[in-house]
Amino acid sequence: MELLRNIADNYYYMVAVVLFVIGMYTMLTHSNMIKKVIAMNIMDTSVFLLFVSVGYLSGGRAPIVDEGLSAAAYANPLPGALMLTGIVVAVSVTAYALSLVVKIYRYYGTCDYDEITDIRSRE
Amino acid sequence: MGPLEHLPVLMVVIFFCGAFLMPLLFRWARPICAPLMVAILAAALVMAIIILQSVYQLGPQLYHLGGWPPPWGIELKVDLLRVYMLLVLFVISLWIFIYALRDLGNELKEELIGWYYTLYALLVGSMAGIALTNDLFNLFVMMEICAITACAIISIKEDRECLEASFKYLILSAMGTGCFLLGVAMLYMATGYLNYDYLHGSLVEAIALYPRNLLLAAALFIVAFGTKAALFPLHVWLPDAHASAPSPSSAMLSGLVIKIYAFALLIVFYEVFPAEMLQGVPLNEIILWLGSLGAMFGSIYAMLQTDLKKMLAFSSIGQIGYIFMGIGFNHEMALIGGLYHVGVHAVTKAMLFMAAGVIIYATGVRKISDMDGIGRNLPLTMAAFAVGSASMIGLPGTGGLISKWYLSLGALEMGRPFFVIIILISSLLNAVYYMPIVINAFLYHGEFQFRVKPVPRVMLATLIFGMIVIIISGVFSRPAVVLLEDAVSRFF
Repeated sequence: MELLRNIADNYYYMVAVVLFVIGMYTMLTHSNMIKKVIAMNIMDTSVFLLFVSVGYLSGGRAPIVDEGLSAAAYANPLPGALMLTGIVVAVSVTAYALSLVVKIYRYYGTCDYDEITDIRSRE
Repeated sequence: MGPLEHLPVLMVVIFFCGAFLMPLLFRWARPICAPLMVAILAAALVMAIIILQSVYQLGPQLYHLGGWPPPWGIELKVDLLRVYMLLVLFVISLWIFIYALRDLGNELKEELIGWYYTLYALLVGSMAGIALTNDLFNLFVMMEICAITACAIISIKEDRECLEASFKYLILSAMGTGCFLLGVAMLYMATGYLNYDYLHGSLVEAIALYPRNLLLAAALFIVAFGTKAALFPLHVWLPDAHASAPSPSSAMLSGLVIKIYAFALLIVFYEVFPAEMLQGVPLNEIILWLGSLGAMFGSIYAMLQTDLKKMLAFSSIGQIGYIFMGIGFNHEMALIGGLYHVGVHAVTKAMLFMAAGVIIYATGVRKISDMDGIGRNLPLTMAAFAVGSASMIGLPGTGGLISKWYLSLGALEMGRPFFVIIILISSLLNAVYYMPIVINAFLYHGEFQFRVKPVPRVMLATLIFGMIVIIISGVFSRPAVVLLEDAVSRFF
């Protein structure tokens, strides 16, 4: 029972981990390159969610210091700030990955890894 | 102190500024691009030497970025270990760049060369950042810059193999960073810090409270750095990526990029994780076994290759295994051996890829079986290849022997002679695939079948420099070993 209650209390961690595994599985097993890139984003997003939820405080205030309030009243701003950087990084990796897919598509006329292997083995 | 105080961050920033300037200058002032890049790399090297001196005099130093003290601000740290890595990094990247000046025109379109300089500067700068940083999130950002630029210096060639290889590399390396970031989140949840020193302090208490979180973090770090450093069995991206890239990129990727991740793993495992954390679970043992499996299987795969650059790439998987063995033994001698191998293998593999690049430049030959008798036409290149092979095998007089010697000493002092046997067998396997190339190149009876273009002098000069460094590292190893002893003694 206690395990279940722990899970229910921290369901946002669970969601993040499930998303992470979905992303990782799709990224490694799917042969379609666009799907790989999407999966990469799902995986990154799951980590962002996890990180942001670490800094969340239910009923917490935005961290603009107000006199007469203790530090415990504010949500932790640091994870949010870090994840902003993380999002920028993820966007640039995605852009670069998609540009590679475009170039590969020009050579083969497909963005499916299995089909590319077929085409190459026939040559 | 004065301006010298800011040297640690300058070593990173100078590259990022250079990267920003390169495309502009390439458009409007093309002739000064290459000299400027050489100047930047040389300046970074000089800075690293100045810092080495000041670390010897004053001990390790911390630098707070923007004046914000930790745990909020980003902190850079210089100590002997990091300065050693920086010296290796800057010497070799300067050396590879001088080689690249002549080779790039052969492999890339003219108008892309300015962009290549940009990528090169970003890559070196981000690796310097990985070595210097004292903050996990900063490490993540630097690792992503490094990953994108490392893929980009492969895909810039724009033929089919390069594009596919760099996509594969990018996807697996994105998986690595995903795992890394999840691990960072676990540590942050448990402690609330990202700074290495603060983490180290608070992990001692946190380990009793959240043992599972922290173990998960350690496992994720092994996967993350293992994927990026091509630790067996996470090496699948490496052969295609390193073999299809332009030769200077191959030298850079095989010589430095995979090492820097092994170095980051070392820093995280020895500096961040407290010793108690590594006692309960055999994390070191896992790294040790994966390293030795890599040393065996990398060599076995390399034996089966027919393409010269692919063989060199597989050989890198074997050699990175030695470095991980050095980390995994958790013993001073072995760690010195592993770290010495970081430098030695960086020089050797970079030189072998350069020699392969010269062969491709002069003759267009890539297949090993076509290279019989090439020694008479390209004597200096094949002499360099022979010296490099000797260092890979670990013959006396080359740096490879010293690192294997210290690794074996460490293994014996730990009472694990089994791993000495593994080192011996894998050296023997190295000999099996490197020696026939050298022997056939010089002692083949027939004529070499292909037309040979004259090789530019600069390329040959870089090869001669590599040979000299390998032999010096084998004969006068004492100064570097003393430096490493001072650097790692605080871990034990």
